[in-house]
Amino acid sequence: MKLFKSSLIALALASTVANAQSIAITNATVHTMTEQGTLTNATVIIDDGVIKAINPSDVSADTVIDAAGKILTPGLIGALNQIGLVEVGAVSRTRDSSEKKADITFDVSSAFNPKSSVIPYTRKGGITTSIVAPSGGDDMFKGQAFYADLTGDFDSIVSTNTAAIVSLGAKSRGSRATTIVELREKLTNAQEKLAKAKDKKSDKKDDKKSDKKPKDSEIAMNRILEGKQPLVAYVDRATDILALIKIKKDFGINVVLAGAGDAERVAEQIAEAKIPVILGAINNLPSFDALNRSLVTPAKLFDAGVKVSYAVSGDTHNLYMLRFDAGISVANGVSKENALAAVTSNIADTFNIDAGRIAVGKRADLVLWSDDPFELSTRVERIWIEGEETSTSSRQDALRDRYTAKSDMPRAYVK
Amino acid sequence: MQKFIPSLLVAAVSVGLTGCLQSEKQAEKVEFNKNPYPSTYKALPQQTTLLRNATVLTGTGERIEQADVLMIGGKISQVGKGLSAQGAVEVDASDKWITPGIIDVHSHLGVYPSPSAESHSDGNEATQPNTSEVWAEHSVWPQDPGFNRARAGGITTLQILPGSANLFGGRGVTLLNVPSHTMQGMKFPEAPYGLKMACGENPKRVYGGKRVSPSTRMGNMAGYRMAWAEAVEYKNAWARYEADYAAGKNPEAPKRDIELDTLKGVLDGEILIHNHCYKAEEMAMMIDLSKEFGYHAGTFHHAIEAYKIADDLAKNGNCAAMWPDWWGFKMEAYDMIQENVAVVDAKAGSCAVVHSDSGTTIQRLNQEAGKVMYRANENGFAITPEKAITWITSNAARSLGIQDKTGSLEAGKRADVVVWNGNPFSVYAQAEQVFIEGAKVYDRADSKYQAVSDFSLGQQ
Repeated sequence: MKLFKSSLIALALASTVANAQSIAITNATVHTMTEQGTLTNATVIIDDGVIKAINPSDVSADTVIDAAGKILTPGLIGALNQIGLVEVGAVSRTRDSSEKKADITFDVSSAFNPKSSVIPYTRKGGITTSIVAPSGGDDMFKGQAFYADLTGDFDSIVSTNTAAIVSLGAKSRGSRATTIVELREKLTNAQEKLAKAKDKKSDKKDDKKSDKKPKDSEIAMNRILEGKQPLVAYVDRATDILALIKIKKDFGINVVLAGAGDAERVAEQIAEAKIPVILGAINNLPSFDALNRSLVTPAKLFDAGVKVSYAVSGDTHNLYMLRFDAGISVANGVSKENALAAVTSNIADTFNIDAGRIAVGKRADLVLWSDDPFELSTRVERIWIEGEETSTSSRQDALRDRYTAKSDMPRAYVK
Repeated sequence: MQKFIPSLLVAAVSVGLTGCLQSEKQAEKVEFNKNPYPSTYKALPQQTTLLRNATVLTGTGERIEQADVLMIGGKISQVGKGLSAQGAVEVDASDKWITPGIIDVHSHLGVYPSPSAESHSDGNEATQPNTSEVWAEHSVWPQDPGFNRARAGGITTLQILPGSANLFGGRGVTLLNVPSHTMQGMKFPEAPYGLKMACGENPKRVYGGKRVSPSTRMGNMAGYRMAWAEAVEYKNAWARYEADYAAGKNPEAPKRDIELDTLKGVLDGEILIHNHCYKAEEMAMMIDLSKEFGYHAGTFHHAIEAYKIADDLAKNGNCAAMWPDWWGFKMEAYDMIQENVAVVDAKAGSCAVVHSDSGTTIQRLNQEAGKVMYRANENGFAITPEKAITWITSNAARSLGIQDKTGSLEAGKRADVVVWNGNPFSVYAQAEQVFIEGAKVYDRADSKYQAVSDFSLGQQ
């Protein structure tokens, strides 16, 4: 993965190192999401933004936090939302996720606003990073997803060109057939060009034409073909899913299914093709493309061996509810470990990002929960993003405090 | 607007044309059927049932441990410890929780059903800002699979409302969540009609976009006021007619107006207002508007800013129906706080309601209420489960004007009951059995009691 801000990270680390405080979280129940499984009465040491040690023999740190009776998990990861791109849904001047003429090259990361009020609110749900996806425009390709943390800092973007997004399936006008044919054509053309370019390179001809700079759209297609980024396809109907499976086989690319409403009908094929699925765990109302989706769809996919991740559907402002969706999936047959993987390690694997697990050397994105992370009664007690503790307090809390305070003066004076 | 003159009225008017001399023989009095699409609902097969040994939230603010609930003849007979009844079907509900049937005061099931299809998009008559003449019940597709999904979440009663495109969107209807192939088969007997009104962004956006009034919030207010002024005249005209007729005169009946019939119903206290209204300043004006024209402002739906005027709402007897945490999708939803419901609820005489407005969250209103309870308790409130349940049962029933019939487990009320697998405010909570008027309409463990809509039947 391209870490375009690596120099910024180095700078940031340099500045934090000066007053770097190592932290030891002790006596916690730690869901590592690795082969280590769940550790009880465990200690995790954070230093320099990363996890330095797990259960070291000698616990020495600047700060020691007794987490007895509490649960430590990796920070949850949002997927395919528009956080930082939309402040108020119906206010056009606060919306930067779509562009009528957007195509596969539409990289929306420069519009990301780390100061959006949605970000601190989302941290209330224990979410530390997110795969942010553009909504795009008329083209089947909606653009490029990027990966950001939810620190609210100006250097929140971790990586760009994380995935290409394409939307297939049912259409209000015309036939879905044209889209899937067009996608195959585009991939075929790009593959041929890439092969030609390689031939020329190997011929070592000093042909000026071969030095011609490729178009941005070609570069984007090549990233998919060369396996540098996955192609995330919004698709529901089983026939479209099967078409995507064939595309993956024919072109040898990484395909991710998003939505996948009808996936349970072809679960075995999806598992066999090793295609990850991102879905809304509580989406159970039928559409003509997803007549069979139900609350047990996630369980059926997990049982078939599919790598499933959850994304909150609908409005990005609801992203904080991700953990509740995971809990509801548990009530409908998913194991607790799988449900936690669906909001942490499985998303990380799907997008090849450094997150979603508690392991030595990993980025220290961590959440300490008062209890079971999925329960409605549980709250985030503490949250760290890249080793730095951050807060869950938000504009909503300020409004609550203003209107529940005692005051003889108009509320505007209560701050 | 097109005015309808039913033939009955034409006949009556022509007879009365000669004037209203007292000596003349009175024409037949002109009266209208206020219930022309009556409920045909009949309780499903039911038997005396005794639910044993559960944690019972009565919906009246009480919690009783290890209690029994006895249902006889479709009514709650008794709630208490160690009950018995001859010939009763007994259900061991140890470790389970029992609540009244859940009521959603704001749903568009049937009028915006799934699957989403142009052919079934029947919730907004967005052709003019005042469509008080339309009735949501005339749009309901009873085969919406969403009704069955909602029943699996414990929903026994729900109000289907028109959308919020219009200042006056039309009448809402209260349905029982029983499967039926007609709307009338679901209609809650004797529930009053609602009238959907809408404040704020939606009407002014819909009509402003068409270069038609309203295009501003002041345009919204003008639209309401002009409509109510006309409705007051219409009401007075009928009052004069009825008084003259009672005095033995032979007056001419006012021309019937289907649109004004609905507004008059509100002025007469027979139809309850359900007002989509997010913002504090707008709710405050809607209360004044109701006083200006002599009706009650009813329930404010989606009342995102209810916490800012919680005292006023309680004082005026308004219910506020709220989401626990939806926000930010438009400007008027920007000032959400997670404790909104709790702040409203804390005032004496208040009526806090949690609603869904969603085919998805209607399946778990219990958890929607739970989120409020836990977040509020983290921030200085002390809300108990027995209190939180009232937001989706008895308070919701009050909002719909059916609190004397359902919404709590009190002797004599309809036996609309849910048995949960545990605490209903857990993320793992599931409704196990659902009863409507004492009849089992859903059983998670028995497919015999899991209804399937015509639409879903036989699909591959």
